[in-house]
Amino acid sequence: MSLNIAVIIKLEPDFSDGNVSYNPDGTLNRAETKTILGHHSAIASQAAFYAKVKYGARICIGTMGPPMADLALEQSLLLSDAEELHLYSDRSFAGADTLSTAEVLKTGISKMNDGKAMDIVFSGFRASDGETGQTGPQTAWKLGFTFLGNVISYEIDIEKRVITALRLISYGNNSLIEQVQAPLPVFIAIDPSYKSPFITVSQRLSASRYQKEAMIRSRNYKSLLKIFNAKELGVDPKLVGLPGSPTIVYKVEKIPKIKSNRSAQTVENIDPNNISNILEKIHETIA
Amino acid sequence: MEQFDVVIVGGGSAGLAALKHLSSKGIQSVLMEAGSTVGTKNVSGGILYSKNPQTGKVYNVDEIFENFLQEKPWERQITKYILNCVSKDKVLSIDLTDSHEYQSNFGCSVLLNKLNSWFAKQSLEVAERNGGGIVNGVHVRNISWDEEKGKTIIQTDELDDFEAKAIIASDGVNSEVAEITGARKKFSPPELYQGVKVVVKLPEEIIEERFDLSPGEGTAHIFAGDVTLGHIGGGFLYTNIDSLSAGVVYHYDSLISNPMGPNNLVNALLNNPFVKEYIKDEVALEPYPDKSLSKMEQLRIKFAVNKLIKRWEKLRFEYYSHEGKKRFLDDKEFNSIEDVKSKMDAIHKELLEKYNTRFETDYVELEYSTKLIPDGKRCRMKKPYIKNILFIGDAAGRGLFIGPRIEGLNVGIDDAVRASNAIKQALEKNNLDVASNYLGELYSQSVQESPYTMDMERIDKYYIKTIIDTAGKQIPSQKIGKYRLLFRLFQNDKLRNISIDIVNKIGYNNMLSLIESEETYIHTPINIAAKLGTKTISEYSLSIPELSQRISNLSYNDDPQSHIKIINPRSEFMKKMVTLCPTKCYSLEGEDVVLQHEGCIECGTCSPETEWRHPRGEKGIQYKYG
Repeated sequence: MSLNIAVIIKLEPDFSDGNVSYNPDGTLNRAETKTILGHHSAIASQAAFYAKVKYGARICIGTMGPPMADLALEQSLLLSDAEELHLYSDRSFAGADTLSTAEVLKTGISKMNDGKAMDIVFSGFRASDGETGQTGPQTAWKLGFTFLGNVISYEIDIEKRVITALRLISYGNNSLIEQVQAPLPVFIAIDPSYKSPFITVSQRLSASRYQKEAMIRSRNYKSLLKIFNAKELGVDPKLVGLPGSPTIVYKVEKIPKIKSNRSAQTVENIDPNNISNILEKIHETIA
Repeated sequence: MEQFDVVIVGGGSAGLAALKHLSSKGIQSVLMEAGSTVGTKNVSGGILYSKNPQTGKVYNVDEIFENFLQEKPWERQITKYILNCVSKDKVLSIDLTDSHEYQSNFGCSVLLNKLNSWFAKQSLEVAERNGGGIVNGVHVRNISWDEEKGKTIIQTDELDDFEAKAIIASDGVNSEVAEITGARKKFSPPELYQGVKVVVKLPEEIIEERFDLSPGEGTAHIFAGDVTLGHIGGGFLYTNIDSLSAGVVYHYDSLISNPMGPNNLVNALLNNPFVKEYIKDEVALEPYPDKSLSKMEQLRIKFAVNKLIKRWEKLRFEYYSHEGKKRFLDDKEFNSIEDVKSKMDAIHKELLEKYNTRFETDYVELEYSTKLIPDGKRCRMKKPYIKNILFIGDAAGRGLFIGPRIEGLNVGIDDAVRASNAIKQALEKNNLDVASNYLGELYSQSVQESPYTMDMERIDKYYIKTIIDTAGKQIPSQKIGKYRLLFRLFQNDKLRNISIDIVNKIGYNNMLSLIESEETYIHTPINIAAKLGTKTISEYSLSIPELSQRISNLSYNDDPQSHIKIINPRSEFMKKMVTLCPTKCYSLEGEDVVLQHEGCIECGTCSPETEWRHPRGEKGIQYKYG
């Protein structure tokens, strides 16, 4: 029995590059900012890859964004060895909040794999560019799928079409791991701590083989790419872009930088007296 | 439980050759490598030979990897082999190219990360066709046998247990497979050499000009005399494409009897005026900041200078490279090579005049590494197997160190093929019964027939003749006093043959202390160099990095779990280890030796008296060059 998997990802500013550009109103200047596959989206891609290696799943990746977002699709392909890539791109999608993005993604997912139903949809925990972690749950709600958030591992009983997942949940200052079971289809927002548990030799060998295939496939990723505009998707114009976004960014304010009142003391060499002094300072600070 | 036909433990060149050969015979084979990728934990001197012995057959790299000669995953083909007798600043260079070419098809300098990555690619393609492959980041923790059920079970730190019909142990000189199965004891200091190496950066065409080489050709210099600071051993300087491998190899027991930091030994070689002249290059040094400027301005200048220096270094390195020149034109970055030179000179001028950057003669060190090397004459396993596990290469203690003849990689590859052939035969006969030892004896017999084994057991008089003949022509015997008689005797075929026959009859092993003595390795070359050598003057100072800098320049995937446990912190050996550890992992606190830090580069120097394991999969040292 085959398993159909969708991954929804996001092209995000490369904050690590220190090269982020802002508009005068404080919003991000996406045109001038280097973009990459978001960190959480990369983890979602890896989580889907586990299903490919272990259960032979077929993977389709989708994203809503400008034409250059196909770069994120290529990077996600490298991580997941996906068979199909979707880009939902239309000027009318501009200004979308999480709800209208979810509408586009829901419609896009319904077009994946020639319209065949998805068994699992993966998303990242959240995006790193000011996102609120709502796109995933809202897409799940629109799809009518069971939503499992903060998933740190999962196994599937293909015959029974049941997924067993471990979730990392916060409980006050502590974290708990909760085991849940749900019938397919499900929507999984993967936890940032997820790591694919390839624990058999065969899985490792398959993973290595698929990664090699992904490398080859990524060289020609545009042949796997399907681009949909609003019309091709058949979305209701009232539900996407600004008209479909109930939330409005009123104003963006920069958080003022706190002026540092600390001064550094340089220790030139490591001799026992200096080390004692450092230890004394530490004791003073934490006392 | 999963089962595989053959599991190979260790992804060095021998293990990868076994994977390739077994897979090409249609046998499902899986290689387990502890490093995050193949090649990151390997270090070599190193020259890889393809040999052509007059009697017997060896299996060469170009036979196992068919594309080896076309794709050239090596550095340079060694066409000159020079022995240098050294006494301080005096050196007598003796051309031993004839002995280097003795029974050889070719010998080439290699950097193991690059070579083994290429081997891995070639092997993997064939292995995958048979349901096998390479599994990286897996550390084999235990191997056990359920003899009733006829099962061999492999346990790792990372994966579910699995079974293998046969195992090839290619996990190096510190073979954990040997230790956990009881196949052999850890090698003791008298059975080992310690090697210390640095990789020195130098542009391709400057190497060719300095060593008088054509493109693709290389030189090997070996050094005897005082470069090892009184230890039995020698130094080496091999040309790579755009770097040099420089280092020393010395008897481990010689170092124990006269403890000295191994990094100081490599420094002594680098500081030799003769070597200094080979490794020197033009190096840009960042200027001191002008403190009268504002901090922001100082920072701005620092970034600008840094960027310009990087650009200049990159342009220069590419400009002095055959491929680099081609790339410049292919990428249409420059219209002509002259334009590249003009740009380079312009940046140089700007750095010099605008930013007061200094350009000095110095050398650039890329990587520091060390490795234990088995002395095959002393420690090779007489029965290189236990049950259905076959030991190859360093893991079996095999390597050739006979005067200037230094071989290890090719010996490991020969073993790999012999092990693979034995497994194939045993599989065909359906006789992998561990109680019968059929597989082990088959392999053992094949190894015994290897010409390399013969070379480890006895002195080859024809090889000695080649050395004496070539050296004799270049050393005017009337000028070397007490060695004159010795040379005369050895140049006489009959007398030389008789004395070598006697040595072989008594047993080469029994004569080793006489042959490999301070007299032969240290005093004789020093005396020859002092009397006949040419003085070299080198007037620049090397900026040799401190050991701590060398270690911090290496890449590690740190493991919070220690892979070293000191057995007896008060033993004399461990006290010496405070000095002998090449990365100074130990210190003395009161009477006890304690593990100070883990800048461990997995050489295993301390393993005789520690519970030493390789770190868990993907953890530990990651060599870039190797």
